[in-house]
Formats: sequence, structure tokens, C-alpha cells
Amino acid sequence: MSVAIADLLRLLSVNPVYRNRVVFTDITGPTEARYGELGTPLSASLAAYLKQKNIRLYTHQCDAINHLRNGRNVIITTPTASGKTLAFNLPVFEKLEQDPAARALYLYPTKALSNDQLATLEQMDRFTTTGVRPAIYDGDTPQSKRAAIRENARIIISNPHELHQVLSWHAKWRPFFSGLRYIVIDEAHRYRGVFGSHIALLVRRLLRLCAFYGSHPQFVLSTATIANPVEFAGNLTGRSFELVQQDGSPHGRRTFVLYNPFYDGIGDRSAHQETKDLLLSCVKEDLQTLCFTGSRKMAELVTLWAREDARHSSCRLADAISAYRAGYLPEERRGLERQLKDGMMKGIVSTNALELGIDVGTLDAVILSGYPGTMMSARQQAGRAGRNGTDSLAILVAMANPLDQYFMNHPDRFFSRSHEHAIVDTHNPYIVSGHLLCAAAELPVNDSADSLFFGESLSSHLADLATHDLVRKTARGWVYSGRGRAAEAVQLDGIPGPTFRIMHKGKLLETMDRGHAFSEAHKGAIMLHQGVTYVVNEMDLETHTIRVSETDVDYYTQPLKEVSLKIVETTGNRILNDVKCAFGEVEVTETITGFKLKRGDTIIGIEPLSLPPTTFRTKAFWLVPPERIGQKVDAGDLDLAGGLHGAEHAIIALMPLHVMCDRWDIGGLSSPMFGETGEPAIFVYDAYEGGIGLAEKAYDILPCLLASAHELVRDCSCEKGCPSCIYSPKCGNDNQPLDKEATIIILGELCRQPVPATAVPDPAVSPTVSP
Amino acid sequence: MTVMEVSGARIGSLWRQRVDTLQEYEVIRDGNVFAAGFSNSYVCSSEYDRARQYLRELINQYDGCSLEAVFSGGRELVNDGGSCYLLESCEPLENPCFDEDRFRSLISGDLTLVHGIGKSTEKRLKQRGYQTLYDLMEHPRYRTPARRAADCIGLGKPADIMDLIGKRHSKSHPFVLGTAGLHEPGDYVFLDIETLGLFSRPIILFGVGILENGRLIVRQYLLRDISEEPAALMATLGYLSSDHPALVTFNGKAFDAPYVSDRLAYYGMEAINGIPHFDVLHFSRRKWKDTLSSLRLCALEKEILGISRDDDVPGQMVPEFYETYLRSGNCGPLVPIVEHNRQDVASLARLFFRLLGDVCGDR
Repeated sequence: MSVAIADLLRLLSVNPVYRNRVVFTDITGPTEARYGELGTPLSASLAAYLKQKNIRLYTHQCDAINHLRNGRNVIITTPTASGKTLAFNLPVFEKLEQDPAARALYLYPTKALSNDQLATLEQMDRFTTTGVRPAIYDGDTPQSKRAAIRENARIIISNPHELHQVLSWHAKWRPFFSGLRYIVIDEAHRYRGVFGSHIALLVRRLLRLCAFYGSHPQFVLSTATIANPVEFAGNLTGRSFELVQQDGSPHGRRTFVLYNPFYDGIGDRSAHQETKDLLLSCVKEDLQTLCFTGSRKMAELVTLWAREDARHSSCRLADAISAYRAGYLPEERRGLERQLKDGMMKGIVSTNALELGIDVGTLDAVILSGYPGTMMSARQQAGRAGRNGTDSLAILVAMANPLDQYFMNHPDRFFSRSHEHAIVDTHNPYIVSGHLLCAAAELPVNDSADSLFFGESLSSHLADLATHDLVRKTARGWVYSGRGRAAEAVQLDGIPGPTFRIMHKGKLLETMDRGHAFSEAHKGAIMLHQGVTYVVNEMDLETHTIRVSETDVDYYTQPLKEVSLKIVETTGNRILNDVKCAFGEVEVTETITGFKLKRGDTIIGIEPLSLPPTTFRTKAFWLVPPERIGQKVDAGDLDLAGGLHGAEHAIIALMPLHVMCDRWDIGGLSSPMFGETGEPAIFVYDAYEGGIGLAEKAYDILPCLLASAHELVRDCSCEKGCPSCIYSPKCGNDNQPLDKEATIIILGELCRQPVPATAVPDPAVSPTVSP
Repeated sequence: MTVMEVSGARIGSLWRQRVDTLQEYEVIRDGNVFAAGFSNSYVCSSEYDRARQYLRELINQYDGCSLEAVFSGGRELVNDGGSCYLLESCEPLENPCFDEDRFRSLISGDLTLVHGIGKSTEKRLKQRGYQTLYDLMEHPRYRTPARRAADCIGLGKPADIMDLIGKRHSKSHPFVLGTAGLHEPGDYVFLDIETLGLFSRPIILFGVGILENGRLIVRQYLLRDISEEPAALMATLGYLSSDHPALVTFNGKAFDAPYVSDRLAYYGMEAINGIPHFDVLHFSRRKWKDTLSSLRLCALEKEILGISRDDDVPGQMVPEFYETYLRSGNCGPLVPIVEHNRQDVASLARLFFRLLGDVCGDR
């Protein structure tokens, strides 16, 4: 192990402050490189290319190439910097060498990634003289160059938004689409949730056009680590996939430290102060360190504090620490990159949002100030250290919230196989019907042939669109007959319906659907956008415009919300430990009645709001605890409503551990007496019209979800519930009522885990209750 | 299934609302030249208000009238693509005045048609007595290319001559237009389409003008329903598959021609390529860009031809007029669309002849 890392680990274990807070240290590796064999050798030009670059192919690269040569679709999930790009560039070039009519499409989520890939492809093309003429075709491509790119480029790099716009011009793309042999979707994990569901249907539209022009392209997807790569790839594209996940690239020794400022349940120093101390310790050990924080403001503060402290020992050290944020000019960015490369810069602090914004090269250590929301991001961020097979260190500094604390109490969950399922929903009726509208503007839609792409609900959607005069049935199929451009009506990042535009200084900051706008961007709300804090000055319900200004307040706001819910249709039933569980469609009505201003946990004010209620149909799962659970809670003189509410919060808090989403995406409701039957119930629903598959997936894996929620609450060291277990920062009822003991009993019964006597005294043992 | 239907109806209306908010033109304050310069497509507010009022009047006036009654001169056309509605009208229009021989001798004096000869070389050559391409066939260096060019001009088809000139001059050069004069009057196909919007939506009316015995015959293929588009497309294509068709449009290189190709591709029908295409907008722009403030067809028609229209629908508003028909079944909104299109075709033909005469009229 590198001496500097060993020294730092020693410091962590002897320093009395650090020692207590280090809850777990995980060490893996080093691992040797494993090289693979190709079924048949590469062409002379590609072999020469590898030789000149002194590259020998790893096992995973060979696996991917062999599968692709066999005509299979491949998803590669090996870590960043393991050489994924080469694993698909080689077979793509091979195909282009063999077949002069062959073409390939690369989809990238960002401009920066597109540019990087273009540079790589151009270099390969120059060396191998394949005549690929790769080019980027996106919103910035000048009109005058477009025709030539469509005609001549054999690899086109684009993004989903551009593709969405160009599909209706397919006649101009005929040579490209008819020759299309490969579709590469890099960073595919970004296409999840609402956006991903749109992309899945966009891919269906592309494939329908390919079929029309007689091509049947293969897919290559690359993603970060997720629990369901093959399922995800299948949902995103509608095809079956081979998985390539065994990384053959070499790694140094990797040390991952879980660090809990709240180890004692109190946390007398802020997690940000602790982050600063750790950063300084790393930098003093001469470890080049990258630190990720949750917001831009925190990045600035941690940098400021670290520099102040460093100045006590050395000015040079202070100057070697800097913040990196969006909005840096290319020159500033390149300057910083250069300083990092030549070792002048020792510490960089950045927000989570900038995972991919900058080429930081090889670093020694990464500090994650707070769990970044997904295990996938955590791994990607940690992967920033120790490239090229060197030793590396990563430290996760936990915040007080439930997920962070869950990992601190259950380190094995953090280091085990990923449980996060990436979800795309190809059945959301709003999204499906939108893309049908676009498809009908591209080629007439045929009920039977096109249900292959759009699913069985196609006919009923088309009939519905026809009653609104948006499509017409003709002898050749359904034809788009709306007046506006279909692709303009359908936006890839939302569900149709009233959207609010959030404006800052006359510029559009983002758009939000009505439900989210009412709860997050009402007048007076404090909102965070890409790490910057804004206050809402005005919400115009007529023009759907929200005006905000930048602010620097030390409080935050929390909406007060009344939720009512109606079951529309139950589509699934299951019994888990004699608890009735169900899945189906529900109608949710949310009314925002006001909001609280809070500083820390202290309420500094409550403001009323009068906003109309929002009603939407979505998908939910729900649990109906049987009578005996209620009796058990009663017997302990505990509060059933508080227990159900706590269970709801815990389940929602741990949803992201299993189903990739954030708390915006889900909502919940619990009641000791629900509906006509008056039974107790807990509902968890997707916070989007039509649902986006989150509750549906959670329903599938319910036992795991309930077990982890139970562990979370049971193993939290607090007495009456805290922000680390059952308090929810977005609770519309101000976390009232909550009863931790009752929560533990309910969750324990739901997953039939005995409630251990060590965690809480077991008040519920009563002779009258026996299951 | 009832659930799907209930939430389905809601989805359809949401898309309807979304589509209704999309406008492909802007309504600007009258006389706001500044805004007009910024927007590609605009309607003045007085014009807009008048058109909306007119639409309401039409709806009242034609309430309960059948399409056959409103367009009594028309008839149903049936072909392999299905059926559509055909309206035919004619007006006297003399063949263009054009002196073909004079034009050929004019262009044979253009030495720059030979590859490698620019303006200054031409001047030098002329000083030395090479007045025409035929003279140049004696030149030791330019002999061969000059012969090729001269042969083309003397014997080639109009399309070949157009290619030759087009390669050496701008596409809006009067000589390019002049090659149209080498066609038989019966070759001209004047085309103007009305659509549901700017691309990737149906063409709802195809107006085709042809010359027959000193008359301009305008045949309009109207979609009574969107399903009739293939038949109308097919009927229009028929004109472009004759012996030596020459397509004449106004802004058709940017709009009508690619739009038609796009719709052919939409239905998986074969496109027709390689037909000489004269875009009157380009020649008009070259001629009048410094003297006229607007180069829209209706402006040119007023300024150059002295025609003014009443009861017109602004071109940008055709989609919403047609959509009103489609959704209500009331034929009233079709009346001004058909008339607008017919007038466009007629003015296009007249403007074209006017420009052609300017190139090389026989005075």
C-alpha cells in the first residue's frame, strides 16, 4: 500500500476524534490484470492500432467483442476507466471496415462526453484509415453541414433530444438508417425514471424506422453498476442482452472508509466541518484529493475553511486547495486540470452535480461528503481515485439522514452487490401515447405491426388520440393530423399536463409539473437548483410562471400538505407473512395548505397558502396490516397511527436503496382507518401521472424493502425517532404523529423479524395475541 | 377496461391542449417591422383579427352545407392511392413571350460558361476577337471545353443547359431562368401546396397549374379527410412524370419540393428526382430585393402584377382553418383556402412569365 495512504489510515485509527467516527474500513485488492482471447484475430489495421498504443485486451473487452461478433446485444457494466469504450469501438470499426454501407449511431447524454468520444474516434480513424469520418450531429450543428454529415459520416454521435427531433426527417437519413448496424448508448444508466421511459420509447421509434429501411441494428450499452443490467437494457431497447461485468483491468489496493460524525447519535460537529478536517489531513499527507459535497455553497464553504486552516501551517498548502464549480470558463477549467496534472493542486472540492464535468486524471483519494443518493454515484465518485492501477482511498462522510445512517449501521449493505434497480417504464400511458403521436408523424402507425414496438395498449391510445382529432385512421394506418409538430409537443423530460416554468432574471431555470411546483416552488419557497439557493417571489397560476431570485438565507421551507387517496383498480395482490399487499392504480389528491420555515430542526415560522388541490392518477403499492398487529401495538400502549406513519417514512426513505429514484419521485400516505373498510393501511405511490414503474418494482421486491426499513428503524440508536430513521424532511404533516416503538413492531411484523429485546424493551408480548 | 378508457380520455385531451399551444407563427403589432424582421413567420394583428372574424362568419354562412354543394364544380377523383376531391378552374393566360434563338445566341456569348474562364479572362478573350463559344472552338487552349459547351447549348435538352449554366453561375442567374424558355409551354407544372404546418404533417391541398391552348388550367386536389392524402399525392406526381416536365414554384426549393418528398417517404412511395425546378422566389429576390420591402408572393402580386385579394386567409393561418373544418365538418373554412391556393398558382404563373420575359422576351 502506498505509504501516504497507510499513514493516513494510521492517523484515522489513532487520532481520538477520528478513531470513534470510523465505523468501517473495507480493503480490496490489489488485483492483477486479466487478459482475454478473441475468437478470431482483429484485422491488421486494428491490431496495428492496439500495438501502437501498447494495448493488450482485457477479458471483459474480449467478451464484449466476441458477443458482438456473434450478433448479440451487449451491456457492459465494468467500472469507469476499465476500457469500455475500446470494447465497442473495435467491433464497430471492424464492421465498418468489412461493410462499406455500414453505419453506427452513438448516443451520449452530454456535450462534453460527445466531444471526448469524437476525438477518440477521429484518432482511430486516422490511424486505421477506415474512412469512418465520425461527426457530431446535434442542436449546435450548423444547417449548412448537416446534409454532408448525414451522407458521409459513418459514425454519427448525437443525443436523445436531437434524435427526437430528427426522426420525422427520416427520408433524409435513408442511407444512414438503412445501413445502421450498431447503436451505442453510453452512460445508459442516466436514462432512467421519467427521462429513461421517454428514451425507451424514442428507441422504439428509431427501431421502427430502421425496420422500415430494412436494417436491424445491434445494441451496445454501457452503464455504471446497477442491480438489474440485463432487465434494464431490455426495457430500454426491447431486445435481449448479454451481460459483460467481470472487470479484467488491474487495480491497486482500494481502501473505503465509512465515517460517521453522528456515531454517538448526537454529532456535535457538523458533517461539513468533519469533511474539511479529513480533506486537510489527506492533503497534508500529500494525497491528491477530490471532495464531493451536496451543494455548491457547501463546496465553497469547505474550501474556504480548509484554506483558512491550511494557512496556519503553510500558505503554499492553502493555495493548493480550490473549489471547482459549474460556470468556469474553459480556460479556467483547463488551468485547473493542468495544475492537477502537474501536482500543484492538491485538493479540489466540487458538487455532486459535476461528476463528469472535468478531467481530473489520476487522484489518490476521494471524500464523499454525504451519500450522493445512489450507490451507483457513490461508486463512480470513489472510482475517481486510483486509476491506472495505483492504490486509492475513499471516505464516505455520513449525514444525519436515514440512508446515510443506514449504511453506517449496516456497512455490509454498502459493500455488497448492488440492490439498486434502474427503472424505465414503457407502459406509462402518458409517455406511450406521446410517442405514438410522434410515431404517427413519422410513418403511418399500423395496429398489429407496431404493437411490437409500443405494446398492446397501442390501439386504445390511438382511438383516444383520434377522438381528439390528433390522429386519423386511414387505409395505410393511423396518420398524425394535429396542427402543431408532434415532436415539439412531446418533451423528453416530463409528463404532459400543465408545466410551470421557473424563471430567473428572465431566463428559464427549469420546468416543473404542477404537483411538484405546488409543493416545491410555491410563493416563499426556498429551492435548490444545481447547488444554488433561490427564493420564489411569485407564482402565477394563469401563465404558469414562477419567478425566483438568488438568495443566501439560512433557513429552508417545508410544505404542509393534505393527501387523500382513492383506489381506482387493484391489479396485483399478494400475501406476505399474512399481511395483505396490493398493487394498482390510485387517484391521489394533494392540497398544499401552507409551509413552514425551518432552521435546522427549529420551526421559525408558518405561512398559509391557498392553492387549488392537485389530482392525479398513478401507480401505488399498499399494505394492510392485519388486526393482530394493531392489537400488539395497542397492547404496548403505543400509537398505531404513529407507527404506520413511521413505517411509511422508513419505507420511503429506503426505496432509493432498491429502486433508483429520489424522494421527489415517490409519495406516501398512511392511515389507521382507511376507506370504507376502516382497516389500517400504508400507501406508497409514484409522484407522476400514470406512474413510472417505481412502486411497481418495489412491490416485486417488497420483502427486501420491508426488511431493510425494519433494520433502519430497529438499529437507529435514537430513542423516540430522529431524522436518521423515521423523520422525513418532506413530510406534509410535520412528522406528526410518529411513534418509533410502534413503527418497529409494525415493520417487524411485516417482515416477520422478531423484535430484538436489545433494541427496545418488548412491550408487545401479550398472552391474548398469538398469530 | 373502463379504467383505461377513463384515464385514456384524459390523456388525449392533455395532448390536445399541448398541441393547441404550439404556434408556428407570431402575431405582431401592425407596423412593427422590427419584430417582423426577427420572426420567420408572422401575421399582423389586424390581419389576424380579421381572419379570426372571417372564420366565424364562414362557419355561420356554411352551416349545414355539404362539400359537394359548396364546391359544386368539383368531382371525386379515384386512383390507386384512393380518392380525393378535384376542383378545376381556368383563366386565359397567353404563352410566355420568349425569343428562344435570341436567348441561345445570348448565352453562346457567355465565355465564362467554359470551365477555367472567369470575368477577366473573358474580357481579354473578347478583346482578341473570341466573341462567342463558337469562336472559342478555334482557341488552342479552350477548344475542347468550348465545343462541349457550345454543343450543349445548340443541341442539349433544356435541363442539360440549365445544369451547364447552374454550374458556372448562381442558381438565381437570369440565364438559369432563361432555360425555362427552352421548354414547351405545355411542360410547365406550377405547383403550390397547403399544409397542416411546417413539415411532418399532411398536405391538405395540392394546386397544380398547366397551360393548355392559351389558358391556365388550375387543378386542385383537396383532402376531404387526411386519409385522402396518398391519392392527391399520386395525382400530383402524375404531372411530374410526363415527358419533359419543368416544375415551377414559389419558395418550392425550401418548402414545397422537400415537403412533397417528405410525404412520399412517409407513405413509402417512390420520390421523383432530377426534374428542372424553377423557384420564382429566388429570381424575384435577385431582381427586386433592393426595391421591394416584402418578397412574399402576395406582396409581389400586388406590386408587380397589380392584383389585390379580398377575403383571403393568411397563408400561416391555413392550418387552423383546415383544422376547424376537420374537427367540425363545416366546409366554410375550406372556401378561402381553396381560393387562396388557386390565386397563388395563378399569380405564380404570371410572375414567372413576367420574369422570363424580362430575360429574353420577343419584343
